[in-house]
Amino acid sequence: MLPIEMYQGIESAWCPGCGNFPMLKAFKQALAELEIRPENILVVSGIGQSSKFPHYVKCNTFNSIHGRGLPAATGCRLANPNLTVVVTAGDGDQYGEGGNHLLATFRRNPDITLVVHNNQVYGLTKGQASPTSEQGYQTPIQPKGVPYPPLHGLALAVAQDCSWVGRGFAGMVDHLKELYKQAINHRGLALLEVLQPCVTFNKVNTFKWYQERVYKVEESPDYDPENELWAYQKAKEWGPRIPIGVIYKNPRPIFEESFAVLAEGPLARQEIERPISKLLEDFY
Amino acid sequence: MTIDLNILIGGAAGQGVHSISAPLGKALVRHGAHVFTIQDYQSRIRGGHLFNVIRVSDAPLSSPRLGVDILVALNQETLDLHREEVSPEGIVIYDASQVKETPEGIKSLALSPDTVLPDTEAGDIAVNAGACGAILGLVNVPVAGLVSLLEETFGAKGEEVVGWNRQAAQNGHKMGKDKGHPFSLADIAKPAQPRLLIAGHEAMALGALAAGLNFISGYPMTPWTSLFTAVSQRALEWGVVVEQAEDEIAAMGMAVGASFAGARAMTGTSGGGFCLMTETVGLAAMTETPLVCVVAMRPGPSTGLPTRTSQGDLEFVLFAGQDDSPRALLAPGTPAQGYALTVKAFDLAERYQIPVFILTDQFFADSQVTCTAKDFPAVKVESAVVFGPSEGAYERYAITESGVSPRRLPGFGPELVVADSDEHTPDGHLTEDLEVRIAMHDKRLRKLKGLVQELDGVTVAGREDAGLTLLCWGSSFGPVKETLDRLQQENTPVRMVHLSELWPFPKDAVTKALQNAEKIIGVEGNATGQLNRLLRQETGITADRLILKYDGRPFTPEYILRELKGQI
Repeated sequence: MLPIEMYQGIESAWCPGCGNFPMLKAFKQALAELEIRPENILVVSGIGQSSKFPHYVKCNTFNSIHGRGLPAATGCRLANPNLTVVVTAGDGDQYGEGGNHLLATFRRNPDITLVVHNNQVYGLTKGQASPTSEQGYQTPIQPKGVPYPPLHGLALAVAQDCSWVGRGFAGMVDHLKELYKQAINHRGLALLEVLQPCVTFNKVNTFKWYQERVYKVEESPDYDPENELWAYQKAKEWGPRIPIGVIYKNPRPIFEESFAVLAEGPLARQEIERPISKLLEDFY
Repeated sequence: MTIDLNILIGGAAGQGVHSISAPLGKALVRHGAHVFTIQDYQSRIRGGHLFNVIRVSDAPLSSPRLGVDILVALNQETLDLHREEVSPEGIVIYDASQVKETPEGIKSLALSPDTVLPDTEAGDIAVNAGACGAILGLVNVPVAGLVSLLEETFGAKGEEVVGWNRQAAQNGHKMGKDKGHPFSLADIAKPAQPRLLIAGHEAMALGALAAGLNFISGYPMTPWTSLFTAVSQRALEWGVVVEQAEDEIAAMGMAVGASFAGARAMTGTSGGGFCLMTETVGLAAMTETPLVCVVAMRPGPSTGLPTRTSQGDLEFVLFAGQDDSPRALLAPGTPAQGYALTVKAFDLAERYQIPVFILTDQFFADSQVTCTAKDFPAVKVESAVVFGPSEGAYERYAITESGVSPRRLPGFGPELVVADSDEHTPDGHLTEDLEVRIAMHDKRLRKLKGLVQELDGVTVAGREDAGLTLLCWGSSFGPVKETLDRLQQENTPVRMVHLSELWPFPKDAVTKALQNAEKIIGVEGNATGQLNRLLRQETGITADRLILKYDGRPFTPEYILRELKGQI
């Protein structure tokens, strides 16, 4: 166990009471318990309130652009497979702008922990609908409510053979910390969606709203996370009861293993010698 | 130049135009000839009309030209479209199983699977290898070289296929020889050093590998794909990580991520793909991440003419992205420049921590040019990354005089590397301190001052006292050079200035090259003279007249000479 103070980042710009704070606490505790030193972790983010997360943790950081955390993180893993890589994204960032990258990354299965902060609203741009906003949810742009149902990111993940799928709740820090630890320890893509209330813009899906609905799925008598069909049902469950915990485990080879050159470690450490006379041979 | 022979091989996509032209070009170079080839194709997988032209000479070639001496028609359409181009002393070789009308009023040679390789199932192989052999027979070159090439190429396909190729080449050679030798290459001397035949994108692939490339990501798009493929085919041998991304946004995002974590990374695209990459141009500049990006231009706007050539994206690539951001822009004109400038692109990207763009086009990408090993000098790969313990707290974006901050990699020591697309403090964290903003923006742009000192790329040829200067850039080098050579042969004094390093604009070198020019004519493959606008913006000099071409086909000396009529 490393001291949690070791992960102290810069002062945050989040609203008081933001659901991101308990996530930050749980994440730092998870790193401390896993004894991953700041210099050995890289947190990649996109744009949104969630994407400020790596600045508030002491770690290597690549704060990229909206929706593009996954491609940048994949590139990082393919250059240095020794790095522990975590992506923090928001529901708009990952499920909206970055949707195509999410689909492709499910297939690739790089060893990345993808944390999607889901507050069902756009915070940074002040209260517009997100891909996970409920049907009928009213916003300044949709005063009559969002006309269609939300995207089910976890169901998509199960359907596309994501190798680890889970959901946490910012209101249950210890439970969330354990999920962070499992997701980081998982070898392959781990999608951890975290219900994280926006106290400023989402007056519907509040801490209380989530508290009344979430239940620990691992306590269900039929808990069976290696069963795809069971996992799919749990991933789709959204209403009076919302499951949190590990929903799907589907271990499979990671993307990085398909490159022999990466078995020799980080690219930056490898000698490069390519005699031009040899390169020209094909052209005589 | 005593020999100047144009061989056009045409047919439908899938018929084997490349199966004829690839071994033929190589065999002629091995024989000692100078070869220049172009490809002209449509955006389809089967059918349509495509052709390759192989120009052959006893002297160095830098350009295609008009006219056909030997026409190989694999179908009726090729004959109908190109018959008029064949010179009176020329000859038509045609696949008699496909071409229904025997060409009239011109020497011709009919081939078909039944006449070249009777009683076999060789099919297209008979006609393709047979045509190769027939052409060598016509130009009085022994067939042995072609036979060994076909054996090298098809060895993996088994003895039967190799045997068909060998026999068809020999039979075709005899059929060609029997027509006499309207064109003879028999007197061409073998060069002291073997020559090689290489296309622009292939030369760039070698440049990238020589420069230490170990990561490439891309999304297929013509004409960029040929470079992506040329690297990928060599990736296993040389330890390069290759990923075909889900889109160009991801392709460039991955390359930036890989570079941030220590790879020597490259990406590339064409036209519409670069529209998608534009957001990442700013990211690379803001996070100060080295990146080499190739933009293989094609006519637009939008999807435009996917398989044709253009020089229309100079301004797009120069200005793509938000606000002012540092970048370098290179545009090779020959395979040798393609190799050298790719090496230079990696070096500049690494040392200045910026995106470096290389502009190419279909003409440059696919045209094969005869070169020697001297065109490809050895490269020493040097990294500008800092390893080892730091003195004091490490700041990824430390303010420096040069604008370049010491670059470390994440995960190689206790120093944390923090990069941000937001405006940021020297230690990489997002900030809205506007004083810091000004300091950081100035720091990034200061890199251009050092960078411009390293650029030149001005090639001047012709007579210094000539009244006329032809100004061109990128792939137009060859056709302009041949125009110059032809005019000089007629004792018409003319000069050319070619630019291959376009941003930051090498003002001093360009001004020096143009300051005494009486009359400047710009030659550009776009509709409005984009280089000329840049020239005027940067130096105040402007061309007196422009020769433009934007029909999707490359310049030829004939086109430029026609446009020059009355100007000299």
